[in-house]
Amino acid sequence: MNLKHSAGPPKRAEFQDKEKPAQIRSSNITAGKAVADAIKTSLGPRGMDKMIQDKKGEVTITNDGATILKQMKVLHPAAKMLVELSQAQDAEAGDGTTSVVILAGALLEASQKLLSRGIHPARISDSLLHFSSQAQVVLESMAIPVDLSDRNALLNSANTALNSKVVHEHSGMLAPMAVDAVCRLVDPAKDTHVDLKDIRITMKLGETVEDSKLIDGIIFTQKTQGFGGPNKVEKAKIGLIQFCISPPKTDMDNTVIVRDYAAMDRILREERQYILNITKKIKAAGCNVLLIQKSILRDAVSDLALHLLAKQKIMVVKDIEREDIEFVCKSLGCRPVASLDHFTPEILGSAELCEEVQTGNSKLVTVTGVQNPGRAVSILLRGSNKQVLEEADRSLHDALCVIRCLVKKRYLVPGGGAPEAELAVRLTNYGQTLQGMDAYCFRVFAEALEVIPSILAENAGLTPISTVTELRNRHARGETSAGINVRKGWISNIVEEKVLQPLLVSSSAIMLAAECVRSILKIDDIMPVVR
Amino acid sequence: MAVSLNPVQIMKDQAEEERSETARLSSFVGAIAIGELVRSTLGPRGMDKILYSVGRSEGEIEVTNDGATILRNIGVDNPAAKVLVNISKTQDDEVGDGTTSVVVLASELLREAEKLVAAKLHPQTIIAGYRKATDVARKALDDAAVDHSSDEERFRSDLIKIAKTTLSSKILSQQKDFFAEMCVDAVLRLKGSGNLDAIKIIKMQGGTLSDSFLDQGFILEKTIGVHQPKRIENAKILIANTPMDTDKVKIFGSKISVESTAQIAEIELAEKEKMKNKVDKILSHNINVFINRQLIYNYPEQLFADAGVMAIEHSDFDGMERLALVTGGEIVSTFDHPELVKLGKCDLIEEVMIGEKRMIRFSGVAMGQACTIILRGATQQILDEAERSLHDALCVLTQTVKDPRVVYGGGCCEVIMSRAIREAATHVAGKEVLAMESFCHALDMIPTIIADNAGYDSAFLLASLKAAHAKEGGASYGLNMDTGAVGCMEDLGITESYLVKRQVLITASEAAEMIIRVDNILKSAPRKRTTDRSHC
Repeated sequence: MNLKHSAGPPKRAEFQDKEKPAQIRSSNITAGKAVADAIKTSLGPRGMDKMIQDKKGEVTITNDGATILKQMKVLHPAAKMLVELSQAQDAEAGDGTTSVVILAGALLEASQKLLSRGIHPARISDSLLHFSSQAQVVLESMAIPVDLSDRNALLNSANTALNSKVVHEHSGMLAPMAVDAVCRLVDPAKDTHVDLKDIRITMKLGETVEDSKLIDGIIFTQKTQGFGGPNKVEKAKIGLIQFCISPPKTDMDNTVIVRDYAAMDRILREERQYILNITKKIKAAGCNVLLIQKSILRDAVSDLALHLLAKQKIMVVKDIEREDIEFVCKSLGCRPVASLDHFTPEILGSAELCEEVQTGNSKLVTVTGVQNPGRAVSILLRGSNKQVLEEADRSLHDALCVIRCLVKKRYLVPGGGAPEAELAVRLTNYGQTLQGMDAYCFRVFAEALEVIPSILAENAGLTPISTVTELRNRHARGETSAGINVRKGWISNIVEEKVLQPLLVSSSAIMLAAECVRSILKIDDIMPVVR
Repeated sequence: MAVSLNPVQIMKDQAEEERSETARLSSFVGAIAIGELVRSTLGPRGMDKILYSVGRSEGEIEVTNDGATILRNIGVDNPAAKVLVNISKTQDDEVGDGTTSVVVLASELLREAEKLVAAKLHPQTIIAGYRKATDVARKALDDAAVDHSSDEERFRSDLIKIAKTTLSSKILSQQKDFFAEMCVDAVLRLKGSGNLDAIKIIKMQGGTLSDSFLDQGFILEKTIGVHQPKRIENAKILIANTPMDTDKVKIFGSKISVESTAQIAEIELAEKEKMKNKVDKILSHNINVFINRQLIYNYPEQLFADAGVMAIEHSDFDGMERLALVTGGEIVSTFDHPELVKLGKCDLIEEVMIGEKRMIRFSGVAMGQACTIILRGATQQILDEAERSLHDALCVLTQTVKDPRVVYGGGCCEVIMSRAIREAATHVAGKEVLAMESFCHALDMIPTIIADNAGYDSAFLLASLKAAHAKEGGASYGLNMDTGAVGCMEDLGITESYLVKRQVLITASEAAEMIIRVDNILKSAPRKRTTDRSHC
């Protein structure tokens, strides 16, 4: 009110103040929409892949939203927030990384519409929060509870996740693999968490994806040490050692003083004797497969030791990283041994078979038939080229995440755009019960959600408008599980088609997208900062 | 040209001087510009800014609503602007909140002063008026403050209201009930010590803000050694900073000379024995948890595992100090006198999964004050901003615990103060009256900006607010930004810490006074720079 009678300069500032935030906001929204547009063609089972060439000329071909965005190296600050959004979805649910960005893009577009009507951004942001929490209620109401012992249900949802990937023809094999891997880790009765670090995926170039397998044991990418030692051991007794089998070395510097020729001979003999003693003790404990931790201070195992171990028919795998020790222990049910005195038969893990296999031009050691395995599994992935292999890895990760979601929250929702269509219908209706600004915002946001079925239809080569209107019609009539059936090219009951996805994927996508859009709406200035 | 016509050069080349009119103009303009910059972030409907890094960390972005963070990061050249940036920093250090208000108030005071100067009022007269006004405002604020600390129930609800008010202008505004409870719980656990070190904030990407939680224990982002117990009840903890890989003789060039391999083997064995002794000594403390700042190598790790002791290696320095603080133990590095060592205690230590990570939780620690807040959020920006907001709230709450007086927010105090000043001004004879009136205008700007930011008709709201205050019993009225109307702040629960408000008032008026007094700006010649050839 003071400004009315104030002098020139402040008035000008006042004018700028109103203009600039609107511009910034619109630039942020445009950037966000551009990001969403860039990846929208990769949504759904008929989605396309992107080929990305990085600085070094390495090529990645992928359909995974989070990966595409991570590689895109966007510059605009608001666009960056969307990239992080897809990563957050990746961390939270693992799947739906594309949908979350597309949703955010659509919500941004809706907000722009509302802004142009002169609604204050803070109001829009409030409605959006209300909207997203209401969306959770609707989603939960349409959720189908699932039992972790129901293998088929798990398989279906893993299949849905894999369907959009390049490896989908192998989904018949990858899906059971993912389900088995997770099921082995969890105790369905009480666990609500899965640590995917306990599933180790080893990628090896060569053969085809079909030859990938779930190993009932562990894979080492290191090869055996040869020296005439065995490379296949049945009824393996596996020992994991953290001490070194090499000439002794003290922590202080040491020098051995050699006075004459005889002394030299003696030293060599003693060294041999020393190592022989160690190997004998190992053999005496009944060990026939020896895993040796990497050592940086000295040779973990000397050539002489390898020779002696080979003679005693002990298979040796060296260079096990210290970080991997826990995983190895879990998989094999053995204990790491840090000193020779502790090397007793009790600490050994036992397995049916431990063998070295040739894969293409490299070798792998696989241990199978572990007797008392802990909660850890390994998966060997094969692929004919690097791109396929990497994409298979990402797809498998998605499938694993989907199963993990089901462990966390044991509900499924129909796929194929059904939840979004249902939300659109139900929330529009709910919005009509509201008053004021909220009611208006709800209508626009609900409409924005239809972007998912619309893009699904578009990518599948259907006519988006007629498909979406039909879908809306079905949902309005109460068919909550009507979704786009891409295979048949029309709307059908998607639950019967067994296209299901975890509730967590859909619910976190909407929550996260709303949170991100709200924080973008609240921004009214971008300032450069020198740091 | 004749030499005599050249100006006499007194100062060094490139040194600048700005005099009276120009100097004043440039400081007013600078200060007002800073005020304009942050004013849109004020209030519950304030907007955020993106800080976009250029230079070394090109492309990093930060989204924030915190005045101090914004001002700390932008580089300013104008001396007056720098003063305002500094007061915002001071406010942040002193009380933690009100960093935007203080800058906005100071810049409004200067904007008013500019007009007075234009009306040929002497700067010293303006200062005199401002001083008088500040005194009156302070008294009015003192009178308006209420103290509920005697009633525990009421005090707690006051704290929650304050936390909510602080959080309502931040990213956490929608979850403010949830976070306000969390902050108050955390601060009340401190039992007035105000030691924010005992509150640890862990940020984990993924999930949404409402998945955040307060853990009644202390969480360490580490893992437990292989084959050691993952859960220990009634833990007796030894916190140490000692090498557990090898005990080296730290004499440079120390060396062993031997004549045979067997001798080396003996020495190696002796070294091992030494480590075993050390472990035995540690175990003789009758402990079941051993936490070391340094690495614990395989051999001792196994010995600990054999003894059923949980050994945690590589705990970071910060974590150690906190751990020592909360468990009540002390950090030791020699183990010869078990009887002298103070062990940490804790009811339960267990491994927990938080998000994707495994962490170790210490619950029921000796110092009941400790707690950990785990923040979850969609993006790193959201997490960072949430942390800043929480920090603000925690600071304000600890301040309030120290001085339990509270005042009403939503522009209520500002109107009370400006009313008091207007009233006092009627008794003052002299030109200072004009300055006092200007002070009122500046104070009125705070509710005006709050209303403007929320998109409401500020002139109307301010007028109705003033009218409400003029009525009997209307002293608790303020702006309700949810409905865009004037409402009773007591009913709405919008309260603020008295200390913060007082600090805002005093700091802003001091800063304004300082800038008004300036009539000459001298800029020294920049230091000659040579190209920097050093690494990084």
